Amino acid sequence: MLLVPKQLRRVGMTGNVPYYGGRFSPAQAYGAAHPTAPPPSFADPMTAGGAFIRAPVPTAGQHTASVPPTNRPDTEKALQQLLDTGVISEAEFLQLRSRVTQ
Amino acid sequence: MTGPIQVLVVGFDRPTFSGEVLAEFTRLRDAGIVRLVDLLVVSRTEEGAFETLALPEGVEADFGDLAARVLGQAENTGQPSAQAAEIDAASTWSLTDAIPLGGTAAVALIEHSWATSLSEAIQRAGGSFLDETWLAREDRELLEALIAARQT
Repeated sequence: MLLVPKQLRRVGMTGNVPYYGGRFSPAQAYGAAHPTAPPPSFADPMTAGGAFIRAPVPTAGQHTASVPPTNRPDTEKALQQLLDTGVISEAEFLQLRSRVTQ
Repeated sequence: MTGPIQVLVVGFDRPTFSGEVLAEFTRLRDAGIVRLVDLLVVSRTEEGAFETLALPEGVEADFGDLAARVLGQAENTGQPSAQAAEIDAASTWSLTDAIPLGGTAAVALIEHSWATSLSEAIQRAGGSFLDETWLAREDRELLEALIAARQT
């Protein structure tokens, strides 16, 4: 009988998405960026939380929104944590930080 | 079914089933450690197509169907399932990733009965799953040497 393999979620023993490919999962990245916030549900990113809802593509001439100034310290702190824990490289850290501080 | 289910994919150059592996699964099931939920043997052509093969003697007659339904999709759909479309590609896998062209493999669905309460305890403790892997032989030898040194 022919078999057509399908894509399956890669999860660990606890049923959660692992730290795949040397990178944080979306839930883990959110947790690192929001250390005091309650964990959102990622079951349906289109309706739950909103942290990973894709932002609309800006139209021509429309200014791309930058990170609000009030969020910058948290974001930089999260980036620093990612760098310290080896998740991102120094070059990636500098690149991402430059986006935050633009 | 309550325990975590592992998908174990084992490749064979020339599959020969003596019954020894199945006997070990029986022993582990009787000991309440792991349970072989289903077993599927597949081959992959050089062109990439997968075909299920006959199961070895000694395997329960209805084995293979569950694994095929879980790991495969209806043929000739031409479209990924709605479920697959919602899954982040970076956190997924399929038999295509595991079995090389021209390869043959046994694919086992194994329930880890021993891990049920441990997994629940980790979740209750707020543990966040980061990674899991197995130590390489060299690292196991290092570990064994360290344990031996500690005991002397």
